[in-house]
Amino acid sequence: MDPLTLAVWAIRLAFLASLYLFLALVVRALLRDIRAASRDPAGALGRLVVIASASLPTAGSVFPLDAVTTLGRDLGSSVVLDDPFSSARHAVLTYRGRGWYVEDLGSTNGTLVNGVPVAGALPLGFGDELQIGDVRMRLERGLR
Amino acid sequence: MTAATLPGFPRPIVRRRELGLLLAVAAALALGNLSLGLTRAGSLTVVDPAGLLIYLGALVAVHLALVTAGRRVDEVLLPTVGLLGGIGLLLAERLPQDLVVQRVGSTVLGLASLQLVWLILALVIAAVVAITVRSDRWLRLYKYTWAAAGLGLLALTFVLGTDVNGTRLTLDFGPVSGQPSELLKVILVVFFAAYLAENRVLLADARVRVVGRLTVPPAPYLLPAGLMLALALGIVVIQKDLGAALLFYAVFLCLFYLATGSKVDVALGIGLFLVGFVLLALVFPHVRDRVATWLDPWSDPLGTGFQTIQALHAFARGGLLGTGLGAGLPTIGGQLPIPAVHTDFPLAALGEELGMAGVLAILGCYLVVVARGLRIAAAAADDVRALLCAGLALVIGVQAAIIAAGNLKLIPLTGITLPFISYGGSSLLVNGLIVGLLLAFSDRGPLPPREPRRARRPAGGPG
Repeated sequence: MDPLTLAVWAIRLAFLASLYLFLALVVRALLRDIRAASRDPAGALGRLVVIASASLPTAGSVFPLDAVTTLGRDLGSSVVLDDPFSSARHAVLTYRGRGWYVEDLGSTNGTLVNGVPVAGALPLGFGDELQIGDVRMRLERGLR
Repeated sequence: MTAATLPGFPRPIVRRRELGLLLAVAAALALGNLSLGLTRAGSLTVVDPAGLLIYLGALVAVHLALVTAGRRVDEVLLPTVGLLGGIGLLLAERLPQDLVVQRVGSTVLGLASLQLVWLILALVIAAVVAITVRSDRWLRLYKYTWAAAGLGLLALTFVLGTDVNGTRLTLDFGPVSGQPSELLKVILVVFFAAYLAENRVLLADARVRVVGRLTVPPAPYLLPAGLMLALALGIVVIQKDLGAALLFYAVFLCLFYLATGSKVDVALGIGLFLVGFVLLALVFPHVRDRVATWLDPWSDPLGTGFQTIQALHAFARGGLLGTGLGAGLPTIGGQLPIPAVHTDFPLAALGEELGMAGVLAILGCYLVVVARGLRIAAAAADDVRALLCAGLALVIGVQAAIIAAGNLKLIPLTGITLPFISYGGSSLLVNGLIVGLLLAFSDRGPLPPREPRRARRPAGGPG
C-alpha cells in the first residue's frame, strides 16, 4: 500500500473518530449536568407544596424556595399565582436566621396562615398552611 | 474596583466547557478539511483555509461575546450546532460551486461562500438574541398577534411569491429571496406554547366522554388550536409544502403531550393525521405521486423515482465507514447524481462519504440539541417557557428526523431542510434564531454568592 492511500485512510478515520470524540465529550458534559442537578441546593431551605387550587399552579405542584420568595400574580414573582383573588405582589416568604417568615405585601384579599389573616411578619413553621385566594399551600422541610 | 463590578456592566463568566468543546469542533473540522484536500488533490492540502478559519473565528467570537455578556447560558448548544454547521460547510465546499451562484456587485459567490455568509449571519443572530433577550413576555403576551402575523406572511407569499420547483414558498425582497414558512415554525411554537400552557388544566381535566371510557377535551377549548392548525396545514398543503405540514403537526402533538400528558389524545391525533393524509392523497395528485414514489421508486427510475434511487445508491456505496470526503458522488455525464443534493439530500451525500458511522454521529448531534432543549425546558420557571423551549428544540429535532427518514426512504420524501447542514438562507437564519432563543432561555440567573467560609483566625478582615 502506498503511503498516500494510507494517509487518506488514516485521516478519514481520524475525522470520523473526532466526530465521536466530540459526542463523547458532550455526553460527559450532559451526564455531569444531570448529576449536578440531582445535587442542586435548590429547595434546601424549604419547599412550598400546593394542596388545593382552582387555577394555576395546580394542586400537587412543588416549589423549591429561595431565601426570599415572592408570591403573586405578577409574572416576576418567584411563585406565580394565577388566582383571581391574588394581588400582583401578594406576599413574601423570607428565611431569616433559622426559620421562615411570611409577610403580606398589602394585598387586597389578604394572606391566611392556618386560616388566620397575617399582619406584619409572622413566623411560618414547617407544616403550616398558607392560603392566598383559592390557592392553599403547605410549607415543607427542604430536601437535604 | 474594576469596571466589571459597576452596575450595568456584567461580570464576564468563564465558559470553559464551551471553549473545550469548541476546540474539539475545530480539530474535527480541520481533520475533515484535510481529508477532503488529501482526497481531492492527492497531497496534504487544506481546502479553502480562509473559509474554515473565518467560520471557526465566528464561533470563537460568539463564544467571547457570551463570555463578556456574563450570562450563565447553556454551554453545549453552541459547539454542537457549530459542528453541524461546519459539516455543512465542508459539504458545501466539496460539492460543485456552481449549484448556487449569487452575484453581489462584481463578485460572484459560489455555494461554499454563500453558505459561509449565511452561517455567519445565523451565528450573529443567535449571539444577539442570546445576549439581548431576557424576558419572554413579548412572545407570550401577543400570541394571537404572532399567529396572525405568521399566517399573514404565509398568505402574502402565496399571493406575491414566486414558484420554485412547483411549490410557491419563496418571497422575493429585491435581490434576496426568503421562505417565510421557515419563520412560521418559530411563530407557531410560540403560539402553541402560550395557548397550551394557558389551557393545559382544562385540556387535561375537563373531559367530555365520547364512547365508553374514551374522553376528549371539551370542544370550545380545542377549537382555537384546531382552527389554527387546520389553517396552517391548509395553506401549507395548498402551497404543496408537505414537509412543513408534517413538521407543524408532529411538533404540535409533542407539545400537546408535554402539556397534558394524555397518551389518548396523542393517539387520536396520530389517527386523525393518518385519516387526513389518506384523504389528501385521494384528493391531491401531488400527494399521491409522493406516496407512489415512496412505495416504489423503481416504477419510474429516471423520472420521479430518480432522486430517491440515487440517494439509496449513495447510502449503499457509503457502507459503514464511507468513501471519504471528496471520494463519493461520481458525476453522471457531468451532472450530479442526486438533484437538489445541497438542500434536500445532504444526508445522502454525507452517508456516502462518511458512511453509516458519520451519519449516526450527525444524528447524535441533533439528539444532543433535543436533549439539551428538553433539559432547558425542565429547568424553566413556568409552563409557557418550558413548552416554548421544548417546542423550539423539537422543531430542530423533528425536522432532522423527517428529512433523514425521507432520504432513507422510511417515509415519503418531503422537501424540508436538514437543520444547519442544508444550504438555504432562511432555514439557517431561523435555526440561528431558535438557538439564540434556547440560549437566552437557558439563563440560570446571576451566580449565587459563595457560601461564607468560617474564618480561620479570629482577627481577620473587617467585620
